[in-house]
Amino acid sequence: MSGDFWFDALLGLLLLLLALATILARQLAAAVMLYVVFGLMLALAWARLGAADLALAEAAIGAGLTGALLFSALARQPKSLAPAQGAGRVERLPALLLCSAISAVLGWTLWQLPLQPQHSQLPAALEQLGSSGTEHLVTAVLLNFRAWDTLLELLVLLLALLGTRLVAAPEPAALQHWPLARQWSKRLLPLLVLVAFFVLWRGATAPGGAFQAGALLAAALVVLRLNGQLPALRFDFWWVRALILAGVLAFLLAGLLSLWLNWQPEQAAQWLRWPLPLAKGLILLIELSATLAIGLTLTLLVVGERKELGA
Amino acid sequence: MNFALAAVLLPLLAAVLALCWRRQAARLVWLSTLFSLLLALAALWQVVTFGPASMQLGGWQTGLAIRWQLNELSALLLLMTALIHSLVASYSLSQWRDAGLSADFWPLSALLQSALSSLFLSVDLFNWYVTLELLGLAAVALVLLSGKKALQAAMRYLLLSLAASLCYLLGVALLYGHYGWLDVPQLAVAISEEPVDHRLALWLITAGLMLKAALWPLHVWLPAAHAAAPAPVSALLSALVVKGPLFMLYMIWSQLAGPELAVTGSWLFLLTGSMALVVGGWSALRTPYAKVMVAYSTVAQLGYGLLALGLMLHLTDPAFTQALFIFVLAHALAKTSTFLAVGEMQLRLGGKRLSTFRGASQTMPLAMFAVAVAGGSLIGLPPSGGFVAKWQLLLPLWQHSQLWWLLPVILAGTLLSAAYIFRLVVLAFNRAKPVRPDFAPALLPQWLALLPALLVWMLAFASGSLLSWLGG
Repeated sequence: MSGDFWFDALLGLLLLLLALATILARQLAAAVMLYVVFGLMLALAWARLGAADLALAEAAIGAGLTGALLFSALARQPKSLAPAQGAGRVERLPALLLCSAISAVLGWTLWQLPLQPQHSQLPAALEQLGSSGTEHLVTAVLLNFRAWDTLLELLVLLLALLGTRLVAAPEPAALQHWPLARQWSKRLLPLLVLVAFFVLWRGATAPGGAFQAGALLAAALVVLRLNGQLPALRFDFWWVRALILAGVLAFLLAGLLSLWLNWQPEQAAQWLRWPLPLAKGLILLIELSATLAIGLTLTLLVVGERKELGA
Repeated sequence: MNFALAAVLLPLLAAVLALCWRRQAARLVWLSTLFSLLLALAALWQVVTFGPASMQLGGWQTGLAIRWQLNELSALLLLMTALIHSLVASYSLSQWRDAGLSADFWPLSALLQSALSSLFLSVDLFNWYVTLELLGLAAVALVLLSGKKALQAAMRYLLLSLAASLCYLLGVALLYGHYGWLDVPQLAVAISEEPVDHRLALWLITAGLMLKAALWPLHVWLPAAHAAAPAPVSALLSALVVKGPLFMLYMIWSQLAGPELAVTGSWLFLLTGSMALVVGGWSALRTPYAKVMVAYSTVAQLGYGLLALGLMLHLTDPAFTQALFIFVLAHALAKTSTFLAVGEMQLRLGGKRLSTFRGASQTMPLAMFAVAVAGGSLIGLPPSGGFVAKWQLLLPLWQHSQLWWLLPVILAGTLLSAAYIFRLVVLAFNRAKPVRPDFAPALLPQWLALLPALLVWMLAFASGSLLSWLGG
């Protein structure tokens, strides 16, 4: 038994324990904290499986952002952090049955899963990597081979924000600005911005990219906003809307530009086909705009549009 | 293909512009729906003249790229999407100040149109997932436009919709993990070359899609959500949003299920379809609220779609494909008209209950006429589109005596739909003590509500070309 095996076994056990603890925690706040830890451990598990992109996404979005969203929802609860209302035995039984059924299906699926896929797109993708304008496979898939999916995903994020705005959420309980936190957020800001743009820039050659960078940027903005060090961000400000739409707009403009450049009257148009010499530039432009858009959208999702705090 | 691409991108651009330039949002989106209607017509003309076309997005080979396929079916569905959106947008523009419709309606509905058009063109399992998510989120946000009273229905819709998406995604992951194809025609080839047991994946996908399309018994979220939404939104949801997953079910089952599995699946669809017809119709007959009745009518009517799908799989007769999609078109038009007219009457007469409609044939004759005419198509009276679909469903059924039990089921469904439509019509002709309108009914919105009902009755004149386009 090597050290690797013990590490993985421990990680797996820890994941199970954390999941159980999250479900069984009596305080909602404790459950959310455990959930964040669970997300971080899951990111570690992805990293152990060699899926660095997934690990980054899980850490940034699964643990970080979801945790922040859950806390922001908790802060809006009418009674602060009341213990979870325990459901009776009768209500628990159907839930237990449903969960067992789902687990059984998943387990059976896992059992059935073939070790070797019959066909894989990987060789084809690797072959075309050179003409995709980026050197990292995941980035090539997301922003070139299947760019339409990514454009639609940006719209999904936009719709999430538009939908959340329609729910008149109660204002969170007023916060007191802790001097230490204010100092800390000031020190943290340049570091977070630097790391965000590093992750974005690295996306061209190695794991990283707009979503992870956007989540980091959002973390910086949320911390600043919660400490009252940033003016209010409201959807009604035109520049906020412009930044939120930046990702989609850059995508559409790049698409229309390449439509125009590739235009041949006798042939059908080619949507989202980046011209090879421009591919790297276009992808970078889209990623940069998408990072800003994702950062601001996530910030608004977490802190909402509330009025100035503490003023 | 160029026209179809433009018909997807135009509403998308309109949505983005409407979010930037909010004062002109209504006019921008309205114009975009009109232009996309022209573009969809041009796309249909292109298909009919030059034959089907396909496009690899990004220009990569099949497998790497997402593929769009434009054939008669997708062109017709694209046209239906654009037509319903332009009708609903015109209606909303004519009365949104009276109805207090939020300005957020415009970008959301434009995004909905773009997502749905993209879904109908795509033949890629994962791209379908993304469009489904987009569709679901847009629909939930649109339901939320009603404000606080819609919150619970919208939340339930959101949670079930997300569960359905995950179910679908798991099925897709299983298929992709083994075969390595997301492109449906390519995947069909791979499955026929090396069949493995892919039942679980197919059932997971089916469960997800049935929940999304509100097919019985997974319809529980629909009546509350569709009834709580503002009238133009209910029209969009009932006419269009549930048709997206239905189309995917058709594509996936007709292409990916082998002959044996198709027969097994057909039993599921035949049974659930029969139940939907009877149970949905019964619930529509029993409810005291007008919009809930129309929403339950959607549950019941989707039963015809399920029956057509099940029969197509069971008997492999192309006539049932024609029946399925003529039904989809006819139901979209009829339901748009019903929801718009009922919404308009509720607004002016001031009440949600069916009893509000007492004497409506006197106070709001045009809107009531729209309900009655559209109801005729829902019942299946000749020569409406609903009749053509039902005829197409029944005619081949006579030749297959082993499925005789479907005839009384369809008869029961028809009688139930006649009963709930006439329940409303009878109330409307009770002129002894009519409910007075709160303020003078405007004529334009009523005409716009009547328009789709007239179109569905004219569908019969186009049925020759419809049948030949859907014949393949």
